[in-house]
Amino acid sequence: MDLVRFMLGGVLPYVAVVVFIVATAHRIYTWKRLAAPSMTLFPAPADDKANKKNVLKEALLFRSLFGGDRVLWGFAWVFHVVLLLIFVGHLRVFTNVDSILMTAGMSAEAIQAMSGGVGGAAGVVILVATVLLLARRLALPRVREITGAADILALLLIGAIIVTGNMMRFGAEHFDLALTREYFANLATFGGVTGQAALQNEVFMVHMVLAFLLIMVIPFSKILHFGGIFFTHELVRKH
Amino acid sequence: MSENNTKEQVVESIKAMKDGPRAMRMYMEMCVKCGTCASVCPVYYGKSEKRYNPAERTDLIRRIYRKHNTLSGRLFGRFAGAEDFDPADLEGWQGIFYECTGCRRCAMFCPFGIDHSVITRKGRALLDKLGMTPETMARVVKISLETGNTDGAGEAAFRAAIDFLEEEMEDEHGVEIKIPIDVKGADYFYVPPSGDVLVNPEATMGVAKVFHVLGMADNWTMSSKCFDGANYGLFTGNDGDMRADNKLYVDEAKELGTKVMLMGECGHAYRIMKMMMEKTAWWGELPFEIINCMQWTAERIKDGQLAFDKSKNQQPVTYHDPCNFGRSCGITEEPRVILEASCADFREMHPNRGDNWCCGGGGGLSAMDDIIDFRMEISGVKKLEQIRETGATYVSTACSNCKRQLTQLLEHHEEQIEVGGVHDMLSRAILVNGKAAERHEYV
Ligand code: HEM
Ligand code: SF4
Ligand code: SF4
Repeated sequence: MDLVRFMLGGVLPYVAVVVFIVATAHRIYTWKRLAAPSMTLFPAPADDKANKKNVLKEALLFRSLFGGDRVLWGFAWVFHVVLLLIFVGHLRVFTNVDSILMTAGMSAEAIQAMSGGVGGAAGVVILVATVLLLARRLALPRVREITGAADILALLLIGAIIVTGNMMRFGAEHFDLALTREYFANLATFGGVTGQAALQNEVFMVHMVLAFLLIMVIPFSKILHFGGIFFTHELVRKH
Repeated sequence: MSENNTKEQVVESIKAMKDGPRAMRMYMEMCVKCGTCASVCPVYYGKSEKRYNPAERTDLIRRIYRKHNTLSGRLFGRFAGAEDFDPADLEGWQGIFYECTGCRRCAMFCPFGIDHSVITRKGRALLDKLGMTPETMARVVKISLETGNTDGAGEAAFRAAIDFLEEEMEDEHGVEIKIPIDVKGADYFYVPPSGDVLVNPEATMGVAKVFHVLGMADNWTMSSKCFDGANYGLFTGNDGDMRADNKLYVDEAKELGTKVMLMGECGHAYRIMKMMMEKTAWWGELPFEIINCMQWTAERIKDGQLAFDKSKNQQPVTYHDPCNFGRSCGITEEPRVILEASCADFREMHPNRGDNWCCGGGGGLSAMDDIIDFRMEISGVKKLEQIRETGATYVSTACSNCKRQLTQLLEHHEEQIEVGGVHDMLSRAILVNGKAAERHEYV
């Protein structure tokens, strides 16, 4: 059992992060080096600057999707924004964000309240958004008929990560922030297996393992759309 | 060709997509399967079946790509959406890849701008390499390369048609209005689709009248060899054919000493010249400029050099933006300038311009009468609704393919709505020596 724990808690994170970085960089590099004659669609941004602005609008506001499917736009935009928020929120588990916030003038109570309030709400909202995305995928024929196993799995994996995350926040079992932070600090400084006590929390263990699994498969999956979007819109919008 | 060779050829060609151009590779690797393309595609609108779902059509090739080019595809096969190519599927492909009109509407609304027309064309190219291009299309390409035009008309037929148009114009206006042929040194070389000479010739008369009114009747010309900008190599996915056909026209323009190649009312012809040939310099630097006749005329209208009697065009008129002009070339305001100047009751259909719905006959489908049921009952359905909503009795459009599709569509659905070009309406209302044409019906 200890070996499994060690593999999952002490080895997987490194493997996942390395795989993610190398494979993502490789895939983006292979996209970037290809010849890319533009195939302009009109109305098109007038110049390079306007084109860059358009790509940003697509990436941040999902501009095209807004015109194409307003309902999906709502689900997906909320999903992604909250995902980003949660990503930022997780920094607090990895590093001592608290002390930075405190020097910026926030009290310990205020930080706790923000984490509990915003973080808690985010956990609920993203769960709802994920369920809606999945429901839509199963309910609408035009989406269902093009859905493969990988599409469902991606959503289920994300869903499982969200549920275990919420269990730690809302569940009866106490989640030990200090201990977890120590564990990640040790991972980050290659400090061996101290702080593995955090792994005694089964829910945390599952949450963490699934999250690193997700990180590891991203570069091989359609989720790498967050990198591709900066290329694909240029293809059809540049003059 | 043996089955093994066929298989190898197709697989190799799909594998090579990873080496670019970038669009090919990105479209193979970048789709979240959200279904947005289906909700904006005219074909899927007409019939919401898996077969017509754009993402599914593209997946036909993607599955093979994944099988051979991706780690997940090699490891997990079907589970990762990967499947090997089966030559038995080719027959099905012949149908499916000719059920996308290449209108590019999907690319307008996909969150990633994925343009399925690119993959449709790839599918057609694979078929073409195997000699499996549908008979109608293959014939048009062959005729076009042999005779320089898609109608297979010879020089005599062309000259007869032009004589007829000159007589018509003299009847209409009581003055001689010339259509110069093969004039070397003329600044403007007019390249219409052959349909605008042989089938719906009013547009060509309109252009002739514009030059006449401007006092430039000696400064433009048509060519007795090159009077059809249509180029079906775009539709069969055969780049070699597309370039060969294009070269005839570029060479002729050089031969004539043209300063301006004035493309006619044909969306894909203009797109190939302007957005492909010129932009990526197929034949190096060009000694001439390329513009569209609608741009030319619209400028003259804005300058106040042309006058009209709108009462000649009383009926409600709407404009259908050909996908290749609107979405792919950004020519949207010029036809409206012409129609608003020459028609008493111009109405927009919605949505329009770059967002317009395809007529249902794009990508060369309009020429395929073997799939007429598909065009009438599936791909054209949305267009029919859009036209009906305007209440117009005349649909103007700047494309021979659109015109053919719309004429058949409206007839099929028993609508009393006329279909024609943009310069057609101009031709009926433009003042020559202060007077508009005495109208009579054309055959
Ligand atoms: C930058 C612009 C982005 C756009 C326009 C975008 C767009 C979309 C869309 C349209 C979906 C489809 C929802 C569905 O039908 O399932 C989706 C799913 C998803 N996106 Fe993004 N996305 C972006 C960036 C990101 C980023 C940065 C991430 C972070 C890793 C991300 C992660 C995901 C995930 C996990 C899903 C659900 C996957 C699934 O349904 O299988 N996206 N995205
Ligand atoms: S809209 Fe784009 S991302 Fe969505 S299914 Fe179609 S091609 Fe894929
Ligand atoms: S190009 Fe047009 S017809 Fe083809 S898939 Fe896209 S929207 Fe549909």
